[in-house]
Amino acid sequence: MSIEDASGQGVTITQTGERGAFGGELLTVNFGPHHPSTHGVLRLIVDLDGEQVKRVKPVIGYLHTGIEKQMEALRWQQGVVCTDRHDYLSPPINNLAYALAVERLMGVEVPPRAQALRVIMCELTRLSSHLVWLGTSGIELGAMSVLMYCFRERDTIMDMNEEISGFRMHTSYIRPGGVMADATPRFFDMLAKFVREMPRHIDEYEDLLTMNPIWRSRTIGIGRLAPEVAKVVGASGPMIRGSGIAWDLRKVMPYSGYENYDFEVATNDGCDCYARYLVRIQEMREAVKILGQALDRLPDGPVNVDDRKMLPPPREELETSMEAVIHHFKLFTEGYSVPPGDVYVAVESGRGENGCYIVSDGTHKPRRVKFRSASFVNLQALERMALNHMIADLVAIIGTADTVLGDVDR
Amino acid sequence: MIAEELITDKGVSAGDEWITVPAPRLREAMAALKEDGYRLLVFLTCVDHLADASKEWPARFELLYEVRDMEKLRDLRVRAFVDGEPPEIDSVHDLFPPANWDERETYDLFGVVFSGHPELTRILMPDDWVGYPLRRDYPVGGEPVEFSEEHETWLTPPPEA
Amino acid sequence: MGLEDLVDSLGQNVLTTTVGKVIGWGRGNSVWPAQFGLACCAIEMISTATAGVDIARFGSEAMRASPRQADLMIVSGRVSQKMAPILRTIYDQMPEPKWVISMGACASTGGVFNNYALLQGVDKVVPVDVYIPGCPPRPEDLLNALMILQERIKAQGIVTR
Ligand code: SF4
Repeated sequence: MSIEDASGQGVTITQTGERGAFGGELLTVNFGPHHPSTHGVLRLIVDLDGEQVKRVKPVIGYLHTGIEKQMEALRWQQGVVCTDRHDYLSPPINNLAYALAVERLMGVEVPPRAQALRVIMCELTRLSSHLVWLGTSGIELGAMSVLMYCFRERDTIMDMNEEISGFRMHTSYIRPGGVMADATPRFFDMLAKFVREMPRHIDEYEDLLTMNPIWRSRTIGIGRLAPEVAKVVGASGPMIRGSGIAWDLRKVMPYSGYENYDFEVATNDGCDCYARYLVRIQEMREAVKILGQALDRLPDGPVNVDDRKMLPPPREELETSMEAVIHHFKLFTEGYSVPPGDVYVAVESGRGENGCYIVSDGTHKPRRVKFRSASFVNLQALERMALNHMIADLVAIIGTADTVLGDVDR
Repeated sequence: MIAEELITDKGVSAGDEWITVPAPRLREAMAALKEDGYRLLVFLTCVDHLADASKEWPARFELLYEVRDMEKLRDLRVRAFVDGEPPEIDSVHDLFPPANWDERETYDLFGVVFSGHPELTRILMPDDWVGYPLRRDYPVGGEPVEFSEEHETWLTPPPEA
Repeated sequence: MGLEDLVDSLGQNVLTTTVGKVIGWGRGNSVWPAQFGLACCAIEMISTATAGVDIARFGSEAMRASPRQADLMIVSGRVSQKMAPILRTIYDQMPEPKWVISMGACASTGGVFNNYALLQGVDKVVPVDVYIPGCPPRPEDLLNALMILQERIKAQGIVTR
């Protein structure tokens, strides 16, 4: 098999010399890394027998950002900005994994209001991540208009992000020790309106797609991932739930107070692309439910831990207390240090289990930060899902696997 | 059950259980754990303990395998220490399929050789890259920035360590 | 003379201008971007194309999948060392005249990632016409950059680059 060097062209074709089942020659087709329907800079080397996929070899690393190395060069509190940017469709969820890991090593527990605000942000993000997924997958399978609807609601979520943190996408809102600041009253008004209106919008997306004959024929029976296989390859998130296994970290290993919310784990037995689509739609409905509950029972109180060694003192104290000034100075010149040890915290992102493993050597910078990314593991299942499908279906399979290349390559 | 003599050390770190196994017998230990119900490899990675003053480390590279039992909902971290240039350990890709890419990534970024791996090539960095970026003696790189802290190379730990 | 007569007679009129201005006007109002996204900024690029801010108002909604049909490359996101040669190939494949917008802190300078893996600014491999700050820039920022570029193209007239 000869594979030409990535020429930058969308597709290049090489003849392999091998014979396929119908006597024809196997062709090697190079997809990407710049190709409009590979969801980012993914490159696939596909061996085709006629139109049938016989082998898929993903080539990754085109978005390798060196985030893990970068975080070793940053202080504990500075590292948060990097966590936003690896899985760029769910920044607060990654913040949460990192924050929880640091907090577990430090042995602190955030106050209930901070936990609830964290849940609100995570669920909003899950919604926006699924909306981006739905819109772009729609485009890839030829349903242009879905994108317009999805991004309309995504923009509402972005406005809320902006209201609560001052920024649209990479909010860095959840930080070790709590959250950036308490939410404004306007944020809660926006959220209440959103929770009221969102279910109707989800119905709209379903009207567009669920019974749409083209959408159904392009997704039903495509990209089967049997439950046993899903477990073996380590799939998580909608990939494993679309294979009928009710595995959701928010339920099985609750964190940040998820055990107090009443929601269902969306599953579907279809094991195909359509099942994954239904699971995500159902998850959006559940997310709205969680948002409603969080809004109703939002506890009062502080949003940060009361630990001067970890978080800066309030502004007023700086004018009266010398100690506060010293703490403030120390925090912003050298940061805090974390006791030696290692910890792994996993959270459920829009794509599955996104975990953060950190090792501290007792200094003010991490020794090692490793992100366990769901996309990286899910992408390995691609070959098993795509085998013997038509080449055109490959797009549907990549689409519904919902890999974020920033998360794969980090 | 994993045999007692395979466990050289064990403990709990911030609520996570861990055991240490001798590096040459890692495969044996992992197979036993798989029998024991830990069917899923959550992730696999490496930590470089070069100039780490927090503790006596048996070797420079620590390999970590986080395994999970999805029925009983328990996690276990398996550590193995390796030294040498290149550091070498057995591959577990056939016991735990997700290890395939994880091992390639660890090879790419740390230069740890997994013997028995079918295709141990670079995965994230370009094929012709020289060096293993996540080792502590590899500089962060990038460009110097004026009016900022110097980029550290971490050959020496920070003074307060 | 009624309004209708005026409108009728307008069709008979002649305007004098230079060929350069007409070409600049035509080119400036139909800039077709190449459709490819790199990282987080690409998501904001998509939202620029949707109904909220609607890039179609400025004649740039036709994102071309093939670089051969595009005039504008929007480098939306960080460029890794592995991606840089490919980015350059895409640029070379675009027909003249062509323009480049460097969208976001990463594409312009490397952003928060000052390390070994990223190209510290895409202007190391392709010439950039407009830089947009922000991480990610708002969709409105991208529109603003497009308008700045349009002004330039219109002023350039018939000259290529
Ligand atoms: S500038 Fe920010 S948003 Fe854009 S690619 Fe870089 S990290 Fe992502």
